[in-house]
Amino acid sequence: MRLDASNLPAVARGCAVLGTGGGGDPDLGLTMALRAVAEYGPVDVVPIEALPDEALVVPCGLIGAPSVASERIWNGDEGRILRNEVERLRGRGVAALMPYEIAGANGILPVTWAARIGLPLLDADGMGRAFPGLRQQAMHVAGIDASPLVLTDARGNAVVVYASEVSQVERLARSAAASLGGVAAAALYCMTVRDAGGAVVHGSLSRALALGEAMRAGSAAERVAALCQALGGTVLIEGKVLDVERRIDAGSLKGSATIQSAGHAGLRHLRLELQNEFLIAVEDGVVRAVVPDLICVLASDSGEPIATEWLRYAQRVSVLAAPGPALWRSAGGLALAGPSAFGYDVAYAPVGHEAADARA
Amino acid sequence: MPERDLHLGVDVGATYTDAVVIDGRRQLVAKVKVPTTPKLGGSIAEAVHRLAQDPRVDPTRVTRAMLGTTRATDVLAEPSGVKRVAVLRIGGPSTLAVPPLATWPDGLRGAVSVGEVVVGGGAEYDGRAAGALDVEAIERFLDRVAGDAQGVAIAGVFSPVAPDHELAAAEIVCRQLGRAVPVSLSHEIGSVGLLERENATVLNAALVGVARSLAAVLDRALAAEGIDAEPFFAQNDGTVMALEHALRFPVLMIGSGPANSMRGAAYLSGVVNGAVVDVGGSTTNVGVLVHGYPRPSPRATDIAGVRMDFRMPEVFGLPFGGGTVVDPQADPPAIGPASVGDRLAQEALVFGGETATLTDAAVAGGRADIGSHRLSAAHRRALSPLLEIVDERLADAIDRAKGALPAVPLVVVGGGSGLVAPGLAGVTNLVVPADAEVASAIGVAIAPVSGQADRICPNRPEERERAREEASRAAFARAIHAGADPDAVDVVEVEEVPLTSMVDPAVRIRVRAVGPRS
Repeated sequence: MRLDASNLPAVARGCAVLGTGGGGDPDLGLTMALRAVAEYGPVDVVPIEALPDEALVVPCGLIGAPSVASERIWNGDEGRILRNEVERLRGRGVAALMPYEIAGANGILPVTWAARIGLPLLDADGMGRAFPGLRQQAMHVAGIDASPLVLTDARGNAVVVYASEVSQVERLARSAAASLGGVAAAALYCMTVRDAGGAVVHGSLSRALALGEAMRAGSAAERVAALCQALGGTVLIEGKVLDVERRIDAGSLKGSATIQSAGHAGLRHLRLELQNEFLIAVEDGVVRAVVPDLICVLASDSGEPIATEWLRYAQRVSVLAAPGPALWRSAGGLALAGPSAFGYDVAYAPVGHEAADARA
Repeated sequence: MPERDLHLGVDVGATYTDAVVIDGRRQLVAKVKVPTTPKLGGSIAEAVHRLAQDPRVDPTRVTRAMLGTTRATDVLAEPSGVKRVAVLRIGGPSTLAVPPLATWPDGLRGAVSVGEVVVGGGAEYDGRAAGALDVEAIERFLDRVAGDAQGVAIAGVFSPVAPDHELAAAEIVCRQLGRAVPVSLSHEIGSVGLLERENATVLNAALVGVARSLAAVLDRALAAEGIDAEPFFAQNDGTVMALEHALRFPVLMIGSGPANSMRGAAYLSGVVNGAVVDVGGSTTNVGVLVHGYPRPSPRATDIAGVRMDFRMPEVFGLPFGGGTVVDPQADPPAIGPASVGDRLAQEALVFGGETATLTDAAVAGGRADIGSHRLSAAHRRALSPLLEIVDERLADAIDRAKGALPAVPLVVVGGGSGLVAPGLAGVTNLVVPADAEVASAIGVAIAPVSGQADRICPNRPEERERAREEASRAAFARAIHAGADPDAVDVVEVEEVPLTSMVDPAVRIRVRAVGPRS
């Protein structure tokens, strides 16, 4: 697979879908990527088998405040700085970059960086969706060290973070990003290709592209149906937003929304809880879907995904739920990224297998 | 000598140009509606001429003339009328991944820009300087564009938090290119989000000439009728600005059309909180009034394919109006998108024409009683069911526009107001005020003057207090500069929006001050 002007818009759209309401707007990243491939040529997306075992894979993306990046826009050379620093620290060559998070802005950002230094992207990521934390990473589950973590502002400043344990990574990385002006390009969980084989979510970029391609289908309703099929999910409800409540709590967006089914017969109500992303969907006290499974809200008139911050009263929406990456559905995965990790006192039930007695 | 107490308002719409004269007690004296001409001056001159001919209007009593127009954006479709702009961004080496105007269509970019540069400088999110301003690079750039640049747009990273580098760069422009070259500064135009703010700033610089030519057109139209009136220009929040301000901020004129009709609807009906439906010749707009003003849209706006940071009234548009062509025989029945436009009185069935329009449907359904010809029974049977589709789509748009509000009063204005019937879902009562067909011109004629200012600050009580005071002072100053009476300016709106995922909890405080024209 090669990324160029013909398929990058679809990848960006797929990243927005996998953002499940969060992950930031991929538009800026798409604009950058289109410029980069026009100037430096297309980016190859390769499976792990295509890379030499002993070379390094560099998971990378944004750490800090996305709104700062919408003002202090990227330089474009961040990938080169990260690659050079990682090679110096680790004493071996980098074979590929990889988005650490396939969702939203972070999914598309490494395309620009890879294009400009002529490296391929590994067809994988560390999350398979959007998560707020730096340890909600497949590499962490596999025992890869996040350190040394490299951050740069592409203004001549870089910070290397060594953390004693993973719980310190978040704190140190975020304060480093704050001192670099609020946002930084970061490389973390760098690993050899050999180690990466069992430590990443494979096929993420292909999946983003497939989702984006599915949304090229005819009418909005056809797009929703095609996307649902591509995700292997189900439509939880089609209707309109009856109320939305949002607040900012410790730098993240929290709140809830209620969707009322369309039509007059047998009114149903689906309640969505959000923390940057849509995390849980409850109907009549029954959990219909919960993190780490994917909950996507799509506009009925366009089929486009709606971010949590843009959900508004009376919008016509379709809510889809689809299985999250298998990794997160395991016992170890659920401890890190299941309902309890987000403060919901409900048992995880895979999409389709509904649990009663939600106290969300 | 007769009292000089008359105000004239003109609103140039896509299909029709409406114009009114109101007196000192804001009572309607005269009104006209003329087809909008392709050339900007034509319909304005015609409307002013016909008003001046009205025996109730004494041209010598007119002191102010207010103009609202969509033409500021029309110019972009044919960009020969725009100013050539030099684009200066302050913020290197950051931001280089997306150079200025990178998202503009090539044609528009070529028509507007004489050159772009990114120089070192700008601010951090907390207002500290990110680096020294690269004065030499600015001087070199200005040398290069001198002679070609008819305006300069300056956008600095985080200038809405700390504008110093933009102001310093403006000084350099003034020194090097002279005072005659107008400068647009992004911190005066928009908020955080560099590309959208920069785009709006460049558009502003490009439209300076349009503001000037609009002023000249209005001036000629008035002079021809012996009217000696001070000109004002409608902006997109339902208020007007004096010429001097319009020349500095022409971009604020974009989107004034819906604002004017909503303000006119509020005034004519006395409804200050409710929904407004403006039914034109080929489109229908639904918006919401909050305290007599249109509610602004929460999102950036796309203009000529470029995302821009400024707030338009939030309008839910429907692609049909009174002149929309219908085909009840199609399956499903077709409504539009074609429209007979300003030829309704020749082409519609009720006027003896050959084309079935939504106006014919309104007559068939007993909602309107206009025209010179009776509809056949077959036409009545075929056309009236179309109104159900219209009602459903209107109710849907009203529901989306009113948001979480409970059922609201609905004011119907515009030339096709007969299309709307009582009984729509979500509507308490329907008001079709007298003179509804010229509501937008009335909205312009009665508009006060406003000024608006933004400040971004850490989300702490004492910082918020200081930012509110600063923003209020700036909003006051801008209202007065825009032409408001200094003794009667009032803060009408303070909005505080927490900014998500900034590093420190931050808040954007926006203050709007409004006063009568001095």
